[in-house]
Amino acid sequence: MTARIIDGKAVAHEVRAECKTRVEALKARGVTPGLAVVMVGDNQASKVYVRNKVKACAEVGLYSDEHLFPATASQDAVIAKIRELNEDPKIHGILVQLPLPQHFHLREVLGAISVDKDVDGFQLYNVGGLVVGDDTIFPPCTPYGVQKLLEYEGIPIEGQNVVVVGASNIVGKPMALMLMQKDATVAICHIKTRDLAQFTILADILVVAAGCPGLVVPQMIKTGAVVIDVGINRLPDGRLVGDVDFEGVRKKASYITPVPGGVGPMTVTMLVCNTVSAAERFAARLTGEKKDMCSTV
Amino acid sequence: MAAIVIDGVAIAKLIRTELKQHVQALRARGIQPGLAVVLLGENQASQLYTRAKVGACHEVGVYSEVHQLPADSDESAALDLIRRLNRDPRIHGILVQLPLPPQLDDGRILEEISADKDVDGFHVHNMGKLLAGASVYPPCTPYGVVKLLDAAGIPIAGRDAVVVGRSVIVGKPMALMLLERGATVTFCHSQTRDLAAHTRRADILVTAVGRPGLISAAMIKPGAAVIDVGINRLPSGKVAGDVDFESVKAKAAYITPVPGGVGPMTVTMLIANTVRAAERRIASEPAGLHVAP
Repeated sequence: MTARIIDGKAVAHEVRAECKTRVEALKARGVTPGLAVVMVGDNQASKVYVRNKVKACAEVGLYSDEHLFPATASQDAVIAKIRELNEDPKIHGILVQLPLPQHFHLREVLGAISVDKDVDGFQLYNVGGLVVGDDTIFPPCTPYGVQKLLEYEGIPIEGQNVVVVGASNIVGKPMALMLMQKDATVAICHIKTRDLAQFTILADILVVAAGCPGLVVPQMIKTGAVVIDVGINRLPDGRLVGDVDFEGVRKKASYITPVPGGVGPMTVTMLVCNTVSAAERFAARLTGEKKDMCSTV
Repeated sequence: MAAIVIDGVAIAKLIRTELKQHVQALRARGIQPGLAVVLLGENQASQLYTRAKVGACHEVGVYSEVHQLPADSDESAALDLIRRLNRDPRIHGILVQLPLPPQLDDGRILEEISADKDVDGFHVHNMGKLLAGASVYPPCTPYGVVKLLDAAGIPIAGRDAVVVGRSVIVGKPMALMLLERGATVTFCHSQTRDLAAHTRRADILVTAVGRPGLISAAMIKPGAAVIDVGINRLPSGKVAGDVDFESVKAKAAYITPVPGGVGPMTVTMLIANTVRAAERRIASEPAGLHVAP
């Protein structure tokens, strides 16, 4: 068996095309979806990410603006800007690029973002909604992207055994809750898991988000499993790889995502998608419609 | 091997004794922790639970008051009351007794409770903190389970935990709390294909389904810790959990009885959260009581 390689770029392209149609419908009603990116400091990787986000917005027809602060900026100044953006009718989504400099208190900054504009889904209210199973929240972009990949490939989730490796707040935990909401039986493994292979070998769908190259080898997976690799690791030779031994595992799995070109392109796309959903809700409030147009978890 | 039966009544009593000392320390500083219970309608079970909560408050020295609204109250009456309690300085914790009458939306009502007074831990914000590993008021039942495990000296980190049932008030917060403590956690539920395949791997098995006899001895690993959150009334009138107690007891290392296991802990942790809310009010940081989940 050789796995089908899930082409994240192609799926992202399709999702963006759908978003574009929704943006055009919004524009016809006089609303251009807008994303504001707030960035503090000079982190090179952050700059690259922000550039990608702005580019994706332009491609789909969104308005975007960037608010750059020096690393020495005060938290109050950044929060004041966020509050201003909360009130700005041109802006439907606000994203604070992480990491923030050391002297910032992450929760206070993220907490300042209006729940309606929290398109990254990191605000406690949106995170809590994930636990409660509220389907009006903005799902965090990376796990949302994984869910879309599975959906586009027609991979069933209900009743499947899912194993999520990595228990982070932005990928592992939300991923587990989202797939459980879709009726999968979900195990969450992490650094303290005693015998990782004992779990992964049972997985129909394996999602790996550990940040550890070569972590998942063919002996650890079930024949015919779906393997989604969220890891992004740069090797000493400069190559980018995921957490999965791609060449080995693809001979045993039924589906596999490559790194790069798998989950990566979906993350930015889901951010755009969440921003479009936010703008649709804004437009619905404007016209008093009670439509829930958001594609939900 | 016969399992050690975890005595929830005794452990709850110990924790209440500890809480009493916290309350005395607070009262020496002029503060008495206060809990308000909001009760809508005349649901018999709710009345019973409320009485148990008020009794526990009294025992520990926490002030309590019960606000009974008629079953046909509209949303604005309930919201007005909650807003008033949010502002009331004598009240540190607010609890809305569920279930609510059908005309009221649980989410809308619970969200109105100030996150600082949400001692039941059901507010969406508090659920978010739970996921983020920064919980201040963990939901009382799963919190009680963690305390039982700790009191019985059962290690959690690195253990395989299986949670059966995915409710918002027990299953999901339970799984997140065990995860936070370093367990490898599997969520099982009604759509799980082969429940026994999962439960047989569990070092710690928590069931919160509400189906008597769901867990038989064949479904558990020898030496497991089995925590039964289910409360079912049998046709005979007897109260039983989800676990076949007698047979599982012969195979497990630890087991909780029903009644007398998790039940007494739930009310106790509500009081613990209320005392913590009062302590948080006087300190900018969580005070000494903070027993992290």
